[in-house]
Amino acid sequence: MKTRSAIDQEQLALLQGTLDVLILRTLVFGAQHGQGIARAIQETSGDVLLVDHGALYPALQRLEAQKWISARWGTSTNNRKARFYTLTKAGREQLVAQSDRWHRLASAMARVLGSGESTS
Amino acid sequence: VRKPFARPRTHDDFSAEIQAHIDLETDRLIAAGLTAQDARDAARRAFGNVAIVKERFYEASRWVWLEQFLQDLRYAWRGMRRSPAFVLTAVLTLAVGLGLITIAFTVFNAYVLRPFAVRDPESLHQIVWRAKDAGGQQFHWRDQQELAERHDLFTAVVGEDTRFVSSDGRPLALAVVSRNYFEALGPSMQLGRGLVASDVDDPGDPAVISHEAWTRLYGRSPSVLGQTLDINGRRATIVGVLASGFTGLGDWPRDVFLPRASEPERAVPEIEIMVRLRRDVTRNQAEAALAPFMIRVIPQRGPVTVEVRPQASPNPMTVEQLAIVAPVFAAFVLVLVTACANVSNVMLARAIGRHREIAVRLSIGASRSRVIRQLLTEGLLIALLAGAAGLALAHWGLDAAVRAFFSTLPASVQPMMRVAPLTFDLRVFLFAVTATLATALLFALLPALQASRVSLTDALRGQGAAAHRGSRLRDALVVGQVAVAIVLVIVAITLWHTGATIGGIDLGFRSAGVLSVNVRGGHDELASPLAEALASDPRAGLVAVTSGNPLFNQARRLNASTDDGHASARIRRTFVSPEFFPILELPIERGREFRVDEARTGAAVAIVSTATANSLWPGQDPLGKTIRLSAVDTSDDPPELPVVTVVGTVRDIVSGLIFTGPDTGHIYLPTHAAGPHATAVLVRERAGAPLTPSALQDIFRRVASDPQTFEAVPLEEMRGLQMYPVLAASWVGSLLGGIALALSISGLYGVLSYALSQRTAEIGIRMALGATARAVVGLVMRQSLRLAAIGATVGVVVTFLVLTTLNAAMRLATVSLVDAGAFAAGLLLIVIATMLAAYQPARRATRIDPSQTLRADA
Repeated sequence: MKTRSAIDQEQLALLQGTLDVLILRTLVFGAQHGQGIARAIQETSGDVLLVDHGALYPALQRLEAQKWISARWGTSTNNRKARFYTLTKAGREQLVAQSDRWHRLASAMARVLGSGESTS
Repeated sequence: VRKPFARPRTHDDFSAEIQAHIDLETDRLIAAGLTAQDARDAARRAFGNVAIVKERFYEASRWVWLEQFLQDLRYAWRGMRRSPAFVLTAVLTLAVGLGLITIAFTVFNAYVLRPFAVRDPESLHQIVWRAKDAGGQQFHWRDQQELAERHDLFTAVVGEDTRFVSSDGRPLALAVVSRNYFEALGPSMQLGRGLVASDVDDPGDPAVISHEAWTRLYGRSPSVLGQTLDINGRRATIVGVLASGFTGLGDWPRDVFLPRASEPERAVPEIEIMVRLRRDVTRNQAEAALAPFMIRVIPQRGPVTVEVRPQASPNPMTVEQLAIVAPVFAAFVLVLVTACANVSNVMLARAIGRHREIAVRLSIGASRSRVIRQLLTEGLLIALLAGAAGLALAHWGLDAAVRAFFSTLPASVQPMMRVAPLTFDLRVFLFAVTATLATALLFALLPALQASRVSLTDALRGQGAAAHRGSRLRDALVVGQVAVAIVLVIVAITLWHTGATIGGIDLGFRSAGVLSVNVRGGHDELASPLAEALASDPRAGLVAVTSGNPLFNQARRLNASTDDGHASARIRRTFVSPEFFPILELPIERGREFRVDEARTGAAVAIVSTATANSLWPGQDPLGKTIRLSAVDTSDDPPELPVVTVVGTVRDIVSGLIFTGPDTGHIYLPTHAAGPHATAVLVRERAGAPLTPSALQDIFRRVASDPQTFEAVPLEEMRGLQMYPVLAASWVGSLLGGIALALSISGLYGVLSYALSQRTAEIGIRMALGATARAVVGLVMRQSLRLAAIGATVGVVVTFLVLTTLNAAMRLATVSLVDAGAFAAGLLLIVIATMLAAYQPARRATRIDPSQTLRADA
């Protein structure tokens, strides 16, 4: 799709498949709307992870289709109508499974990369 | 619980969410200190392309394909309404192909695939015995009763004895069934009830009639129950009418069912036994368990084995059956394929004409697959219309075919003939739908692939680069059509020619005016009283008895050798009374006829055919010579007369099947009306006073209570009956060949006129440069002939291979299927067809005005 401009180089574009687990993780703290989810991911990652707002909605739609999250229209804190997403039971199980996988992947990556540095 | 097809999220709802997102982001940015305008712009920038996100939302919806499909359908419908002529031709062309193949399948379904309309047909098996050179499925009632006790093998054992009976002068197909028949099979009833065990003792003779008989005899009267039906002079009371699905356990529908009363067992085993095999018993187990039973009940020399044959439908599919059916079905498929090629061809031409429209669609963003889908949808719509029309055509065609079948049958067999119900069931319907969809792919895919492969720049500029490629494809289609047409045409001509050759075979005797009477159901002993009754009746002429009438069965084969054993030959032998020769107008060529005393005593004298004499005593006088007769196989019964003396010779005649030609050797032995070998009767009718059916019935009734015990068929009609399959095959072949030929002519015509329209400018220039009309006609004709020649070559080679194989497989004595005349005639027909197809386009070509085309081109 769109190539991101060079100014975002400090921030990391999300890998395929990572956005889903981040959304699920964010919703653990309670119902949230799309903009809130994007903002939360960016803030909790210390502004390192950049959420493409455009990619967020297809992802939400996908998760909703899989019944891992459910949606309801509500009112935001500053009194705007927004669509709020909540984690379902299936979503919670999915989050556990997914985050476990990511932990293992991340530690494996770290081990490989770490050992590579030590030999050079 | 959520519904499986929950209402999908609307587009508006999604748009509202995106709007909310941007609003919230704007709020946040304003709170962070930006101006309202900057905040809004930044929020939009951060979101990216709203339209793309919305499109992704749209495409992820599972309804989108349906929506696009409906869109395609609407578009296709509009397009079709714009060109009704094209749609009508395409639909009719395909409908003919689909209708024909549906007819073929319906017949196949009725006789092979459709299970008996009874409870659990899969468990039904027939008991069959086999011995060396023999086998059968006829048993006695006592055998059925014995098997019914084998609860360790079968859950039910039913017996059925089928024969013709007279009912108020017309023949009815009767099935006498075991008392458990209806309860064990459980067919559904239209009216009333099935037969039950207690019916056997009912003095009112309860009967169940078939749906077809109900329609034919009672006009589907609802008050048929309780009415009486004459069966050989006894009145039976109708207690039930079967639903239309079940017509008995065979492919030959029965009219009426009676319970088996305690009538005496007949000498000849006649009943067929069907069993329901227990689920925990395999066929092999049952066959092993029945071996002692079979050896006991079937009196045969040599080992007798038993087969428990699966019989869920009248003719369960076997490899041999497929080998017979496959080529016939292939011919129908070929016609359908030709029809598809025709429509494909027209669609290709249309697609090329539409290449600019397609290019525009592609250039404004439609994907190629979307364009292909669109074109396939058009094809599908046409195919669906054609499928519906094809079903209607098949329905009508089957009706017409059955009527044609009955009206072309020889008159004496026509009332005996029954056709399995040729109805459309789910299987036929599914077949028709599958065939329709396959057709749609077949004729629409190629044009769709071709049309969507456009070079955008060329097409939009108005140059059809695809046109050339398309025309090659169309040429290939026409070549294929011509090839198919020539295959079918040559096969049809071969069939006609074969039929005419076989039909023209000289039987060697005069069949006109001779009536053959056979005795049904093993009551051979009735032949003698019948012969006497006929001989004493003034309405009949000369009467003879035989051990088997000519054209009805093949006489027994024996080894004949000369007295000294130097020469021997395989011959057939028939016992005949002296009147046999004058009745058939078969003159004694040398020697004399049988004398009356020889006939009465069964003397050891013989009249031999010319072929017999020639092979035993070439060049010598056979009269007075001695012949030693012996069985062909030592396990067969020995011949009735081991040594005979020749007293006369006659011409060779066709005694068995017409297509095997005249006998290669026949020997006639004397018998008389009361003799043990008299099993059939021949009657020559008095000149100018043919025996009427009522007179015959009258005479028959004097001999047996059931006149249907006798089967009277004029020899002339038997000849027609033997020829019937060849005749029917040539009708079907001609129909298919004719349709294929017509289709390829119109295909050729289409290609030529299209090519011409593409070449108008070129021809115009040629004419401007001085080309004569002749040269222009030659141009068109050459193209036409080139295509036809390639197609014809392919077709001739294929036909030759097919017919050579068939000829080797069938080994017909009298004719060869590889017939140079048929090939020549087929080729000639194709050349004429090609000329016909090219004529109109060629004439149009000569009328091209050079000045006009040059101006248009500039």
